[in-house]
Amino acid sequence: MARDDDARRREQGKFHALLVATGAIGLVIVGALVGGVVLLSGTVSTAATKQHFLLTHRLLDAGLHFSVRESADDIEAPPLDDPALVGRGLACYDQHCAQCHGAPGVAPGAAALGMLPIPTSLAHSAREWRAEWLYYVTRKGVRMTGMPAWEYRLSDTDLWATVAFLKVLPTLSPADYAARSAGATACGQRETLPSSATEAVGPTLLRQYACHSCHVIEGVVGPETYAGPPLRDWARRAYIAGVLPNTRENLERWIRDPQQVSPGTLMPDLDVPAEHARAMARYLFSHAPPVDAPKGPT
Amino acid sequence: MAASIAAVGCGAVDPPRVPGGNAERGRATIERLECGACHVIPGVRGVRSHVGPPLDHFRQRAYLAGRFANTPEVLVRWLVDPPRMKPDTAMPAVGLTETEARDIAAYLYGLE
Repeated sequence: MARDDDARRREQGKFHALLVATGAIGLVIVGALVGGVVLLSGTVSTAATKQHFLLTHRLLDAGLHFSVRESADDIEAPPLDDPALVGRGLACYDQHCAQCHGAPGVAPGAAALGMLPIPTSLAHSAREWRAEWLYYVTRKGVRMTGMPAWEYRLSDTDLWATVAFLKVLPTLSPADYAARSAGATACGQRETLPSSATEAVGPTLLRQYACHSCHVIEGVVGPETYAGPPLRDWARRAYIAGVLPNTRENLERWIRDPQQVSPGTLMPDLDVPAEHARAMARYLFSHAPPVDAPKGPT
Repeated sequence: MAASIAAVGCGAVDPPRVPGGNAERGRATIERLECGACHVIPGVRGVRSHVGPPLDHFRQRAYLAGRFANTPEVLVRWLVDPPRMKPDTAMPAVGLTETEARDIAAYLYGLE
């Protein structure tokens, strides 16, 4: 009898587990369908004038916080109290940050006022956030917020200098800030490649110089824009810009100085250092067989 | 759903009209003159190569030859005599009549 009961209980347990699993899968499917319908209906607003729901904002904020804390875990800040470093950081801040985040007594610029989420006052962040977190966010940026990554624009020294200044920022009066920024030296030059020049950095560099804002590029996820020609099958191309034989050296030259190669071209000079141009050219050439295979009609 | 997401943005505006251009004749002209000897052109039979840029999504291309706004009149002028507009271009004037150029333009603007 007892054995029969056990067996029945086991059967019931299995039945329940199956029920729960089916329910969960059903919920996921229904959720995906509802999400899909909402998306396709076009009712989700993309207007930056419309605020987030409070819950949405809080959840995204919490997500940012946990993510940054985790990602910055193995970063260790160097000493940040050297006045020269702080001074250099002020120059970087004044040049690159104040336009969105404002400064003591200085309002953010016009573009920042219309942004959602709004760039926060760093007088708050500097007090509440650890130096390593500030460094991480400055270096890597925050996707979908308008906060750019500065990793490819500023050297590591300048990134830390900016953080060193941020820690001082909350103590400055408007008069202090005005006086100090008037005497600030220029923010330093960016370093060359952030890591070893391997093929893996090719797509990153192509993104960091916004190549995909005009070109469709294999291996680079971005908008489908055809402002410039798509760059797939690059190794098979005979010409660059219709004028220059397509070799790796010429491609580097073109990337670095398009106006010199073909004066009047729409392709702008993006101030690309030689090493970065080399890595991008290598990536583009590695992405297609060099010989044209015969193909039938499409 | 995937298909409609993929198609987002296409067909939001009407393709440029080429007065007097006939897309079907244009396709035949492209095949006869073997434009595929330098370009990959969707829907066209025969040779294809990468000497020049591929011409897929041609309607969406903002510029011609990296320097001219991609409008019907400019495109027709370009097709008839490229070196006249950009002396150092590798694209030759192949002796197209204006009507042939209009036909080809009509075909190219059909490439979404």
